[in-house]
Amino acid sequence: MDKHLMQYKGSLKTFIIAGCLTMIQSVAIIVQAVYLAKAIVHLYKGVPWQEAAAEFGIFFAAHLIRHFLQWAKSRVAFRFAGRTSLHYQNLLVEKLFRIGPRAISRHGTGNLVTLCLEGIPEFRTYLELFIPRFIACLTIPAVLLVYIFSQDVETGITLLVVMPILIGFLILLGLAAQKQKEARWETYQLLSRHFVDSLRGLVTLKFLGRSKSHKEAIWEVSNKYRIATNRTLRIAFLSSFSLDFFATLSVAVVAVELGLRLINGQIGFEPALALLILAPEYFMPVRDLGSDYHATMNGKEAGEKIHRLLAEKEDFGNGLSFPVPVWNEHSTLTVEGLEKQSPEENRAILQDVTFTARGFQKIGVIGISGSGKSTLIDLLSGFSMPNGGRIRIDGLEVPHLSFTEWQKQVNYIPQHPYIFAKTVRENIAWYAPDAPLEKIEEAARTAGLSDLIASFPNGLDEKIGQGGRVLSGGEEQRIALARALLDARPVMLLDEPTAHLDIETEQEIKQLMLPLFEHKLVFFATHRLHWVKEMDLILVMDGGRLREAGTYDELYRKKGAFYELVEAQRGGVEHGILQPVY
Amino acid sequence: MAYFNRYIKPYIRQYRWLMVATVLLGIVAFLASSMLTFTSGYLITRASEMPVTILLIYVPIVGVRAFGIARPVARYFERLSGHNTVLKILADMRVKLYEMLEPQALFIRSRFQAGDLLGTLADDIEHLQDAYIRTIFPVVTALFLFLYSVCTLAAFDWQFALWIALLMGIVLFVYPLLSLYFMKKRQIALKETQSRLYRNVTDTLFGIRDWIISGKKERFFKQFHEDSQESHEMERKMSFWNHNRNFQLQVISGMILIFTGIWAGHAAMHGDIAPTYIASFTLVTLPILEGIIPASAAVEKIPAYKESLQRIDAIRQYVPDKSRNSAVPGEKADIRLEHVFYYYENEPAAALNDVSLTIPHGQKIAVLGKSGAGKSTLLHLLIGALQPASGTVSIGGHAPAAYGEGIHQLVSVLNQKPYLFATTVENNAALGRPGATSEEIEEAIRQVKLDRYLHSLPNGIHTQMEETGQRFSGGERQRIALARILLQNTPVVILDEPTVGLDPLTEKDLLDTMFEVLKDKTVIFITHHLAGMEKMDQIVFLDEGKIAMQGTHAALMENHARYRKLYQLDRGDA
Repeated sequence: MDKHLMQYKGSLKTFIIAGCLTMIQSVAIIVQAVYLAKAIVHLYKGVPWQEAAAEFGIFFAAHLIRHFLQWAKSRVAFRFAGRTSLHYQNLLVEKLFRIGPRAISRHGTGNLVTLCLEGIPEFRTYLELFIPRFIACLTIPAVLLVYIFSQDVETGITLLVVMPILIGFLILLGLAAQKQKEARWETYQLLSRHFVDSLRGLVTLKFLGRSKSHKEAIWEVSNKYRIATNRTLRIAFLSSFSLDFFATLSVAVVAVELGLRLINGQIGFEPALALLILAPEYFMPVRDLGSDYHATMNGKEAGEKIHRLLAEKEDFGNGLSFPVPVWNEHSTLTVEGLEKQSPEENRAILQDVTFTARGFQKIGVIGISGSGKSTLIDLLSGFSMPNGGRIRIDGLEVPHLSFTEWQKQVNYIPQHPYIFAKTVRENIAWYAPDAPLEKIEEAARTAGLSDLIASFPNGLDEKIGQGGRVLSGGEEQRIALARALLDARPVMLLDEPTAHLDIETEQEIKQLMLPLFEHKLVFFATHRLHWVKEMDLILVMDGGRLREAGTYDELYRKKGAFYELVEAQRGGVEHGILQPVY
Repeated sequence: MAYFNRYIKPYIRQYRWLMVATVLLGIVAFLASSMLTFTSGYLITRASEMPVTILLIYVPIVGVRAFGIARPVARYFERLSGHNTVLKILADMRVKLYEMLEPQALFIRSRFQAGDLLGTLADDIEHLQDAYIRTIFPVVTALFLFLYSVCTLAAFDWQFALWIALLMGIVLFVYPLLSLYFMKKRQIALKETQSRLYRNVTDTLFGIRDWIISGKKERFFKQFHEDSQESHEMERKMSFWNHNRNFQLQVISGMILIFTGIWAGHAAMHGDIAPTYIASFTLVTLPILEGIIPASAAVEKIPAYKESLQRIDAIRQYVPDKSRNSAVPGEKADIRLEHVFYYYENEPAAALNDVSLTIPHGQKIAVLGKSGAGKSTLLHLLIGALQPASGTVSIGGHAPAAYGEGIHQLVSVLNQKPYLFATTVENNAALGRPGATSEEIEEAIRQVKLDRYLHSLPNGIHTQMEETGQRFSGGERQRIALARILLQNTPVVILDEPTVGLDPLTEKDLLDTMFEVLKDKTVIFITHHLAGMEKMDQIVFLDEGKIAMQGTHAALMENHARYRKLYQLDRGDA
């Protein structure tokens, strides 16, 4: 049983209410069977139906009560499940903001969206179905059995003995199916992914001239998948078969047994008929639980995933606040022995980084892929928290930079600025949603977006991003620049914003960016050399460490790591010393 | 209905015997459980009359046991057969979908700007399983049970049979149609809210850095709470409607049982049936109704299938034209473009405007230009995916389209993100040449300089790519794709911005390898940077569909200030 189940708010109450309702329901089931038997016996004796009307009436009343209670239980369970799942959905979404962007991409954005929006309904279904079903399994057979024993011990014994056998087989076959499924898991994954894989790789297949003939492969793999699935299902369905088999067969056995004892006069017609009606009811709760097994199992798994995620360590903003002043030309940011561990691999991806940034310096961060550039930018913008080292802003020591007072001063532009599935206007005004139209237009104009916007049928109200118009890399950067123009903040962090652009667009964007950097503290991670020349200070990262720091000329003359990087790129010197962290 | 005729009916026809078998097994299961109740009711009644010998109830005893076994067995085989049939249909549907997508492969992204359309379509096909297993099979079974019980009753008393038909009709027809009517609107509204939620959450997670920096995450939470509350409210209503419906159907079931009981008593009094059958007739109503009640839940799902089919059908709208291939690809392939114009639909400006270009066999040519300058259009013209509006494109003396599929023995393409399939490195490389020997594959791997790295892995070239190749870095993935191109061994290779996203050192290494292994081939190198331009025989600069600059690196450096400036910028000298 799920150890979390009793810990939800209101779950005890739900259990108690459902338990009480189920008790009454069990009694209703017995009354229903007894009076139906009475009515039938009356009719059998040949009396006119009006004389059996009272029995039919009681039967019908019991029938109504029974199903009304079922209705009530469903409502109670749904209310509890709905409330709980909604609560967890909100917790989950808030948690995502606290584990930070790195953890989100580690989990896979798609997986998290699925968990929040599809996992939660599954979790609700689990709570909604499992509680009443589970209680019914405990209560109804027990109450019925008490009554059956009071009427006829032998039938009682038959039913009592069958139940553990039935459950035993159910568990045994369930385990066998599980084992088989696990043994074939990898093959399964490969086969079931093959089709999506083929569709996603269609362009590549086309270029290879294989797209026509690949059709056969799809058919073949689909059929292999079918055969493999059939093999597993043969075992998997056995568990519900065994349930069905023992339940139906024991009803048959009870019927025959009752028949034999009727002949010998050991039991009356009416009680025998009542027992016959009750026998299938005795197994019904277990069969219900079995038939909803898969729906509830998915939900249970989703629930476990949710709990795991909620328990995850937070790498990000713990809500603390530090009174740092607005960054100005006399401000200093000192970083000493900064260190960051990779949570997945237990290994330092940044260590021993020490430097000081002053006033409106432009600081270039360079190094090959995996040297720690992006990690440093993430720490500086507060997207993740360091594992060691000291950070001081104007002498005030802070444990990390994930706090509002710092982040409010930061503009951040990554390589692929995210374009929200909204209008151009909303995208530009992302940081300043209340900006007046003229300001937005001005920012768009300065960022060189006027022509593009004029070419849209809806102008500034054209939808862009996912599901809307697709923008080129250069246009995305211009949107990001317009955002930064509209909500100018004194610190700018840029992570390789132009490397993927064609050289002419890169040049245009550069001309737009340079004036934007004035009177700001700028951190600019790049491996494009022309940017490096614009910087006042260059930090050369290598293998997670800060190898060198200085101006372009100083570093170039020094003929160290920086020189090597520049020359290797220009095709002059063989490289071999620079190492990524991995 | 059109969707039903197009996407469901043909399969019902094709697999009719499997379908019939499945439905029959389903019917047998329900009949067996009805007969179990019927016979045991009879058995108890007959036994209570204390017949002189047990032999008189021998037949019902055997019947009860047989029906008790038949039900679970039939049910088991019904489920197996149902899944087998449906998986067969899915295999066919997948091929059908693939056939619809394949001709327009290169344009899917531009035609359908929906997030992960391909993944959604694959899911849609999976969901269609339910159309058979959860809707068609149960409804057909319910219809049969209805007809069967009404006809049987009619044999005794047609008036009462009519009355029962009416009551059962409420369960089988009225409730399902009502459900369909009520749920359809709600499902559509719910779907809308949910896809809004989906969009917002996806958008937010991808743009989470912006949300964090903006300091306005409360705004998102508020919106999200409202939307999820709304969606929850709708689901609550639907759920409560279901609870109400179940209750009402149970009330009707109870009524049917009472009516049947009274009728049976009445009929026994008039001698239409023996009194021993009263219990049987009364009790058998419940197992029969058990087979009819699920019809409501089954029918309710129809709008969901419709939505999936709609999406699949949208793909079909683009009917491909048949390609005719007459030309046979040769060993060498000179490329000529003469006064080529190309226009896209709904765009007034020419995507390519009077482009003339000659690329003799073996030449290395670089194509540069901003996004939208016409680079991709040029690529699509060269592989025959697009036809020029005017002017001619020829490779080896024929228009690319004239080769049909044979064009891929002439021109290969290495693009920015070559797709690596979820299989081994070896299989990925082997896609370039059907029937490649393992020596040939090893040789290609060695040429792209991956042999040392791959051999250091425990499974060597049998290493799995993992999902979309997460195990390998960007540079390594391009090398695997390059090995595939080498095996494809075409005289012309188009490199479509293959180094975007790689750091300069990796880029330089990769380019060195590429030009080394492709030295005997015509290489059309579409690029965004100027790295490696010195080695090119010809550089073409596209600007708004026109050739703005053309010549060797040295000539361009000398004659074009614009080129000079860009080159210096690229080297970091500016």
